Amino acid sequence: MTPPRVLFFGGKGGVGKTTLAGAVAVGLADRGERTLLVSTDPAHSTSDLFERPLDDTPREVLPNLQALEIDPTREADRYIADVKARLADTVPPRLAGEVERQIDIARVTPGAEEAALFDRFARILTADATSHDRLVFDTAPLGHTLRLLAMPEQLDAWTAGLIARREQVHVLGRMWQRVAGTVAAEAPDPVRDVLEARRARFATARAILTDPARTAFYFVVLPERLPILETDRAVRTLAKYRIPVGGVLVNRVLPDDADGEFVARRRARERHYRDDIARRFGDLIRATVPLQAADVSGVAGLRALGALLACDF
Amino acid sequence: MTGRHVWSRVRETLRAARDIYEGVFIAPYRAELYREYLRRRDQFFLIAFADLVGAPHPIGFYTLELYPHLIEEFHQWHRRLGLEQAPDGGFRCC
Repeated sequence: MTPPRVLFFGGKGGVGKTTLAGAVAVGLADRGERTLLVSTDPAHSTSDLFERPLDDTPREVLPNLQALEIDPTREADRYIADVKARLADTVPPRLAGEVERQIDIARVTPGAEEAALFDRFARILTADATSHDRLVFDTAPLGHTLRLLAMPEQLDAWTAGLIARREQVHVLGRMWQRVAGTVAAEAPDPVRDVLEARRARFATARAILTDPARTAFYFVVLPERLPILETDRAVRTLAKYRIPVGGVLVNRVLPDDADGEFVARRRARERHYRDDIARRFGDLIRATVPLQAADVSGVAGLRALGALLACDF
Repeated sequence: MTGRHVWSRVRETLRAARDIYEGVFIAPYRAELYREYLRRRDQFFLIAFADLVGAPHPIGFYTLELYPHLIEEFHQWHRRLGLEQAPDGGFRCC
């Protein structure tokens, strides 16, 4: 059975999502799969991890591996510029100034950048699969990511509602024209076309995200109380949105050969949390990654960490 | 009475009957239909741009791309509300 093409790595802030996503992406690239690593966290650290600058276009970091960091500010600016460009064709010149002013106001409303980030995310997700065999998403801390993943469903419902209403308007307008004897040739409704195009993208994104053959979400968790509790809630939230969970990766577990009295005390504490993890997530646990003596960084470090993962993605 | 006279009387009668029919059955229906059309259009407008009246909604950013196509409808809408000028704070057209 082929593994899902789209992998997500998520978890509470600071649990090592970026590092593990990077290690998995390097591993996939090393075995010949053309992989795209995408960071959706506005506070990017993928470029730090690979020790090289990255931006919002895919950049090659090693053979078969490209990486990009979505930049919500640039995405929002680009979208606004696009809307303005189309204004020139459709808005009478006397109105153009005011419309532009209103669009600039909308640009700074809360949620604009989140919507722009989602738009780019959806485009990457729904792009045709010819350029990359695998997509690896390194996500923002769980709260943001759960909202991001819930968006296709909500937006799809909203857009469907708007389309239905627009259709009612259209039908009534035509009926009235007929009764008034002013019926014109059937004109296409550009508003409806715009909404339909939007909806098609939302629906495709949703279909991919909810398909276990195409998507797997991996949680990274530490043997500590707060990450465990947050992950436990998030697993259930994903089930509600029908997003398939690939498994749980337990990160930074004290290695068996670490010694000293302090470490022994920590280990006793850790045992308690590892038992808790086993009880809550059971057979979802895919890997247990030991705490490293040094920071993991660069391709060599990620490769070494990937070997420790010993799990097939 | 010539045949032509008969025909013109018949035509007049038919025209009068059509006018009465039109006045009694069609005209009120037509006005109601038009009102309903405007009502639905206003509803669509309010839902697509709920943020203009202070109600945040999830697709506000995406309905931006509808602005260029809806600006004329918006103009008619605020005129119908009895506002000569577009209300400030929403998107404006005049």
